[in-house]
Amino acid sequence: MRSSVKRPPTPDAEEEEQDREPTLQEIINIKLVESGEKERLKELLRERLVECGWKDEMKTLCRAFARKRGRNNVTVDDLVHVITPKGRASIPDSVKAELLQRIRSFLASTAL
Amino acid sequence: MSSRNPSYSTPKECNHLTKYKLKHGLDGYYLIQEFVKTNPFGRTMIDKSKLELPRCSFCSGYQGRLYLCLICSSVTCCLSPGSDHTLLHSQSFDGHEIAVDLERAELYCSVCCDQVYDPDFDKVVMCKHMMELPRSENGDLRLCKRKRLNFGIDLDLRNVKRLVSSRDQWSESCFPLGLRGLNNLGNTCFMNSVLQALLHAPPLRNYYLSGRHNREMCRKRSNDRLCLPCDIDVIFSAVFSGDRTPYSPAQFLYSWWQHSENLANYEQQDAHEFFISMLDRIHEKEGKASHAIRDYGDCQCIIHRAFSGLVRSDVTCASCGFTSSTYDPCVDISLDLDTHTSYPINVGKPSKLNESAGTSTLVGCLDLFTRLEKLGSDQKLYCENCQEKQDALKQLSIKKLPLVLCLHIKRFEHFPIKRLSRKIDRHLQFPFSLDMKPYLSSSVVRKKFGNRMFAFEGDESDSNTEFEVFAVVTHSGMLESGHYVTYLRLRNQWFKCDDAWITKVDEEVVRASQCYLLYYVQKVLYHKSSEDVSCLPMSPHADRFVPIAGCC
Repeated sequence: MRSSVKRPPTPDAEEEEQDREPTLQEIINIKLVESGEKERLKELLRERLVECGWKDEMKTLCRAFARKRGRNNVTVDDLVHVITPKGRASIPDSVKAELLQRIRSFLASTAL
Repeated sequence: MSSRNPSYSTPKECNHLTKYKLKHGLDGYYLIQEFVKTNPFGRTMIDKSKLELPRCSFCSGYQGRLYLCLICSSVTCCLSPGSDHTLLHSQSFDGHEIAVDLERAELYCSVCCDQVYDPDFDKVVMCKHMMELPRSENGDLRLCKRKRLNFGIDLDLRNVKRLVSSRDQWSESCFPLGLRGLNNLGNTCFMNSVLQALLHAPPLRNYYLSGRHNREMCRKRSNDRLCLPCDIDVIFSAVFSGDRTPYSPAQFLYSWWQHSENLANYEQQDAHEFFISMLDRIHEKEGKASHAIRDYGDCQCIIHRAFSGLVRSDVTCASCGFTSSTYDPCVDISLDLDTHTSYPINVGKPSKLNESAGTSTLVGCLDLFTRLEKLGSDQKLYCENCQEKQDALKQLSIKKLPLVLCLHIKRFEHFPIKRLSRKIDRHLQFPFSLDMKPYLSSSVVRKKFGNRMFAFEGDESDSNTEFEVFAVVTHSGMLESGHYVTYLRLRNQWFKCDDAWITKVDEEVVRASQCYLLYYVQKVLYHKSSEDVSCLPMSPHADRFVPIAGCC
């Protein structure tokens, strides 16, 4: 693709937010971030994933991938692309359940 | 320690980063520094505005990895190689190649699609990070405890099945070799208790029992007829002879008095002080450089081979973030009791540890030892970078672990101003299996800096971090008048050594005791010495003088 110096058209300020209603998912996400709950949930998730050995599993997968490709031929993007589906698939159900529960309680406690 | 390729060496810059730095230098980094924020959990990130969610300038998406261009500050997202708006941005604008990962505050090259490392960038981020760390009420810096459930918990011993016939096996005549009572010669329980522990320190035991200190040669060679190692050798022979009658280490006591005149009396002494002085004396005799106290790190005498470790001290300037590290050799580690029960928010889980106000844990003490400490304003240190005295932060960690780790619990508090001393009776819970990995310099420094690629000076051997306790010296009573008792763990069975009386005890007794000196040995050595013939229970009819194999 030719690198182009031509700038993409500057979006009109008025058009930007108004013709697109924020989805429910977006609203929830904004609420989570604003209240700081998202940070806490992320930290909880990290803790759980370390405890159940998921992090170590991912590390092993990354190492194996890096070894196969060669240490100098691996980029962060490659790793993320390769590991993400495996990572998502191997999250234990208990962890998913716990986080869902936390999100539900949060939603129940905040006015939408 | 085998030399291996250091895992940590700053990777080469990609040419895009080089180009960027040539053109812009560090200006971009300093502009970004303003937005580097540290969340309550100790993670650094870029936060441009607390009010708005950062969104990609191409698709307004907020998911996936978000990057901030260092040239024009526009935010772009990268969801997959197929949807890489960050790459698109670099292709649309010439020279806009270097970006910062918003969530992690790390450098990224949009063209190489890879993380890049620049120590200058790391320094800028870390300086801000250090100044932003969440502080508790009394000004102590608290780094949120990322829970380390795998360390310090011994699950194995709880699952050990109790042998039904264990009673029969352990009648006194069948005690393992090397268990012999030591007579109290007048308030010498401080000496007896430490001796019992050292008699069973695998490296020391193996050294003496394999005759490494030759008494004959020593007597001929030294003009000074007093030789503490010789006296110790005598004790080893006596204790491991198979004779069960209590032994009186009188000669040893006399030798020790000769060396420590100020302590030559029948008053009660401190076991830890005795332990240190004993190590000193043996080192003097056995070490090659008997005068060079500074050579501890290189000394190859049995004492240093067994007990010597290295503690790293990092001092950081609170104004500019400049850190200097120093290394100090040590033969033991003195730990303050963790009396605070307040820890940062334990996400989701009620804190199980330290619920009762009166208990501390060894893990808590070790955490306290390696905590990031803000030095008082009366302790300002000179900072090379600022060229003046500044407030400072200090953090200790262990650079090199010894074979035998002696942990000294500071139970005796002295207040010189009030001219008062007191003993802290608080119970300390300690594990039988201890993994020291989280207290290594590599772990502590890495935890502080996250994924920053500060080039590490060498790599500690991560493999030998697991320890097993083999001796516990306990104290009961008051400061001025108390009694020391040692519990020895041989082949997973605990024995109480109370001067002349040796009895088998259950592990609960040991756990409930008030520990003062904890002796841990590297797991490999502990298991090796358990297999050693000398530890097997002897039947009364067997040959008493079993050849003992093993060397240090």
